[in-house]
Amino acid sequence: MSQMELYHYLALGAILFAIGLVGFLARRNMIMMFLCTEIMFQGVAINLVAFSRFHMNPSGQSFMIFLLTIAAAEASLALGLVILLFRRRETLNVDEWSEMQG
Amino acid sequence: MDLLLLAATALGAIGLYLMLPRERAPLVRIGTLLGAMALAGFFLFLVRSVEQNIGATAPDVSTRPPLVFYVFAAIMIGGAVGVVCQPKPVYAALYFVLVTLAGAGVLVLLMAEFMAIVLIIIYAGAILVTYVFVIMLASQGSSPSEGGGTGGDVKAPAYDRRASSSFSAVFVSFVLVGAVLQVLLPTHGPIATRNASLINPMAAMMVQSVGITSNPQPAGTVGQPSMGVEATTKNATGIEPIAPSNVQLLGASLYSQYSLSLELAGILLTIALVGSVVIARKNVDVDTESLGTGKVPVE
Repeated sequence: MSQMELYHYLALGAILFAIGLVGFLARRNMIMMFLCTEIMFQGVAINLVAFSRFHMNPSGQSFMIFLLTIAAAEASLALGLVILLFRRRETLNVDEWSEMQG
Repeated sequence: MDLLLLAATALGAIGLYLMLPRERAPLVRIGTLLGAMALAGFFLFLVRSVEQNIGATAPDVSTRPPLVFYVFAAIMIGGAVGVVCQPKPVYAALYFVLVTLAGAGVLVLLMAEFMAIVLIIIYAGAILVTYVFVIMLASQGSSPSEGGGTGGDVKAPAYDRRASSSFSAVFVSFVLVGAVLQVLLPTHGPIATRNASLINPMAAMMVQSVGITSNPQPAGTVGQPSMGVEATTKNATGIEPIAPSNVQLLGASLYSQYSLSLELAGILLTIALVGSVVIARKNVDVDTESLGTGKVPVE
């Protein structure tokens, strides 16, 4: 695998990360915001595995296991919070909670 | 900055901006057209970069991924745009399944079959199901206070039909992606890959297992010095040594190099499990007298 081939995968990861970032910044639905972070996670995962292949070193795939762990923990905690907040105000609009910025 | 890359990035940004949900009807068709043009621009940019770079690379090293990669990449990017631009969360979750499946395909192309399967099982099987559960639990399409229609076709709530500060979001993200793509573009041939198998014994095993050596000799004779004890003992018993598979390499890495991190990951998952239960539980006033009598406690 050459640097040029690696570049293809890195480009895909970067574009996915950017699209997820757009969604996270622009969408107002809390569930959608966290779904967009999952897209960003996928872009990073492709980067990790591509580097693992490029350097012929399985550490990158180990990191992807940890990344999936973090994603699962984040999803469970975030969705628990979403349910809690939805019960308080009956809305998923994140602007409703803007006083939480301190 | 490269003009083609700049044009593709700008086209993609404008297309995504037009497709984001907003007050007036989003210009989905024009946005899709611009997005497809941006994808074609990225494709041309990559092809041109490969051709410019091809003289500097060694002849036995592949300079570009197989064509299937471009298909998977296009599906992934299209699905991601669908997630971002879809006003209804359930459809967005379905688009995310598309992204996950295409991502598994890309991982297979990277010789990481185990990670591809894990991605499908964990993402499409576990995390997505959790998301869909929460979308069902927290859906409020029928509540009239947020502007949801009460007719047969339940419209999405107002905050789903309008993206806020979409211009700055798109601008920031695509400036980021343009800069990253420009900076990462390799300007010289491969250095690291040529001798990777000589430096790292694990790399030599991986080279064998994925079969990218152009050496026509059988696998047992190529990497015998670096394959360690297991291979030689197997050879002594007359069984042909088998190159370790991707899963074996991953397991060896996880349980030797990262064993402590693996334990910490397990602890983290437990904490997240307990924490999410504590966060999301309702405050139920448990009637201590009715405990054990079979009565259901009333909230």
